[in-house]
Amino acid sequence: MSVTRRDFLAAGLVGAASGVMVPPVFAKGVFAAGIEGIHNDRVLVVLQLAGGNDGLNTVVPYADPAYLSARPTVGVRPDAVLHIDSSVGLNPALKGMKSLYDGGQVAIVQGVGYENPTYSHFENLYVWEYADPQRAQTDGWLGKLLGSQIDSQGHPLSACALGETSTPPELRAPTATVSVIDSITGYTVRGGATRQATAPALYRTTPGIYGVLFDQALSTAESGMKTLAAGASAYTPAAQYAVAGATQAANSLGAALQLTAQMIVTEPSVKICHVVLSGFDTHQAESTRQTALLTEVDAAVSAFMTDLTAHGQADRVVLMTWSEFGRRINENGSQGTDHGAAAPLFIVGKPVTGGLYGEQPSLTSTIDSGNLKYTVDFRSVYQTLIRDWLQGDPAAILGASYPELPIIRVA
Amino acid sequence: MNLTKIHLSRRQALGVAAGGALGAVALRFGLDEIGPTTAATVSAGGWPSPLGTQRAMAAHLLRRAGFAFSQADLDTAAALSYDDLVDHVVSQKPAPLPLPADLTNHNQVAAAWYSHMVTTSAQFPERMTLFWHGVLTSDYRNAARLPFVYQQNVLYRKAGLSDLRSLLASVTTDPLMMRYLNLDASTAAAPNENYARELMELFTLGPGNYSEADVREAARALSGLRIQLVDSTGARIAAPRYAKANAQAYADEVNALVRSGATFRGALVARVHDSGTKTFLGRTGNLGPDDVIDIVLAQPACAPFVTRRAMTFFATPNPSSADVNAVATQFRANKYDVATLMRAIFRSSAFTSPTNYRSLLRSPTDYMVSTMRVLNRPQLATGAVRAGAGMDQVLYAPPNVAGWPSNAGWVSSSTLLARINFATTALAHGTTLPDTAAAVRTHLDGVLGRDTTAALGAAKTPSDRWFALLASPEFQLK
Repeated sequence: MSVTRRDFLAAGLVGAASGVMVPPVFAKGVFAAGIEGIHNDRVLVVLQLAGGNDGLNTVVPYADPAYLSARPTVGVRPDAVLHIDSSVGLNPALKGMKSLYDGGQVAIVQGVGYENPTYSHFENLYVWEYADPQRAQTDGWLGKLLGSQIDSQGHPLSACALGETSTPPELRAPTATVSVIDSITGYTVRGGATRQATAPALYRTTPGIYGVLFDQALSTAESGMKTLAAGASAYTPAAQYAVAGATQAANSLGAALQLTAQMIVTEPSVKICHVVLSGFDTHQAESTRQTALLTEVDAAVSAFMTDLTAHGQADRVVLMTWSEFGRRINENGSQGTDHGAAAPLFIVGKPVTGGLYGEQPSLTSTIDSGNLKYTVDFRSVYQTLIRDWLQGDPAAILGASYPELPIIRVA
Repeated sequence: MNLTKIHLSRRQALGVAAGGALGAVALRFGLDEIGPTTAATVSAGGWPSPLGTQRAMAAHLLRRAGFAFSQADLDTAAALSYDDLVDHVVSQKPAPLPLPADLTNHNQVAAAWYSHMVTTSAQFPERMTLFWHGVLTSDYRNAARLPFVYQQNVLYRKAGLSDLRSLLASVTTDPLMMRYLNLDASTAAAPNENYARELMELFTLGPGNYSEADVREAARALSGLRIQLVDSTGARIAAPRYAKANAQAYADEVNALVRSGATFRGALVARVHDSGTKTFLGRTGNLGPDDVIDIVLAQPACAPFVTRRAMTFFATPNPSSADVNAVATQFRANKYDVATLMRAIFRSSAFTSPTNYRSLLRSPTDYMVSTMRVLNRPQLATGAVRAGAGMDQVLYAPPNVAGWPSNAGWVSSSTLLARINFATTALAHGTTLPDTAAAVRTHLDGVLGRDTTAALGAAKTPSDRWFALLASPEFQLK
């Protein structure tokens, strides 16, 4: 990379000091030309399970007697578990995931976490989003990647947050362009040609501390809308995303992943996608709530993989799940579980070597009065995806090197 | 909960650099018909600041202590000295929320609130209610078929102007909060930590000011609260029983009870409360919910933490510790009196400094309420409830327990389009539009960037001129 962000910032400050007006589009052009980063057709989809998904009820250590004794009401019955091996199995709601696993397309990474965990949602979100347990970084890990190794400036759709309205923190960085698209039909300026021309013209050279943020958001929207209008070509979903009989509200993830498939199929510049499903903070009535959520995840991810395969795109897409923490080993008195620590995550796709990775943490040798000790640092997962899947430089993003997991099958 | 602020501060810093470079050259000082602005100071980010004049200071305060205002409101406010105006604003008494038809329907409650924010002259209490709704937040999905959203809205309008102790005491027994953070199901046998943790992390102290053991002990002290129905004299009465077959009769009965003065509220039930000895933040004893609140309020971290949240909402996106502490000292010394807090904020240099002009970004609710007010169209309230989703703010459905984003956290390619589209929606209703030139003076202080000046100049119809004004970056800021 020949132009670092520091150079870019320095250039901006020199420009400010000399009073020379640099049109933002020109500044972007200079920066974009300097990118010597990732050039391939691979796509990473990040599925966030917000609220702290209960890992022990997702990948269940069913053969360990300590499991059900810690969770007399919340625990998954051993005979209902979808067996992965003689010690762990999947939650019965994850039938599609099990079938993908049996097809060799799911890597289950067990015991993912970090040293000295916090039990706060927001501190853990920070840790995962910024890849920094010290919580000192100011850019999201994918935002850094976008800003430094992916030429996102000229390609508004290289990073897309889909089915949501705000920019996910892990994609945020000053030099990262992110398109946030709740739905394609809503991603438009309504009211006719005059309004469509006026709106972006209002945000070309906005002064003030929000100026760059405003102008970049609207120019990203403007070019994204044009690209989408031009490419509104061939995409018909080849899979059923919705859970049968579910309401529209209970199908938000299905809609988001269908939109993700559409973007991947129709827009070659798409590189990183983010989708999110919320509601995993199951302090109460966990069994019902987590089952509903995992059912939605299962239907949506299964359909997404089927759809990508039908459109001939499965070879270039890998999906990872993450959640800010797992939950406490012992259930609480409200048929739920409180905030915990390490948990498993899934890496799904045709380029993946399926199987179990990492170790299931002990239920009896615990940390912080009854929490799971991690066995795999979450940055090992990030490093594996950056280097082995996206073919980028993880050290520049993570600041250090972590043991990689042999998850990506293709070179 | 400070995520938004933290991860955007860098971006804002970049914005200052680049915006400064562009702004100094790009700015034009208002429309020809308005005449030049005589601003001598440029705000931190590059807008020429008009805050040297009493009229502009009045507008600055009204815009942040309430929502957008009329020219007549501004005339009246600008006749007072700034200090007198602060006193006048902070002493406003809340006007009660006009009752929606169905008090158990959160959409109707939200629409009633939008309408109230648009029409009431008591603007400051509504702004405070919105502030507390974002800090001590809750979610309507915990209130199916019950009037809990309505009750919390009424509570924050009233207790939100009192003092932090009274407010926290009533929040801890507020049924929506009790459901949202699981107090209503926490037992001595297995205390639920949810409320105990967020009370300290997000409501009063911030992380680092308590231990995991404190969370567990506070959860024990808070165990055993249960939601009960009481009549207007405070006597417990039986709650109606819901059955699918008579859902309408049930709703009618609940509505009639609440209209007659009955309320749902939390009460400590000895049978499920842990009455053993606890040690919480250094105090040991048979502690209960009131003790937890008193002990939290006695922590040195409490006043600065709450003050910082208030200053981020009302004054400046990244207040300095010195500015926060100066206000927090007064807040604490005056027994956490909310009026003291707010007077101190409105008088602090972090608020009044000319460089602080347009340093805050209107929330979606603020943007929509202000749009409805400048167009005098409260009938858009129901539409605003729906439109909020595209801008990231559905009242009583915060993204998580940390409450609403702030300032730059509201901006994405998607949310900006949704705001612009709301302007089009708002202009599609009704026929008469107020004069744009006067609106630019009243609502934008006559301070326009180059792009908005050009768009206003090019607009051919009153509707197009109003669109340029409402969709402009200037109108998103305050």
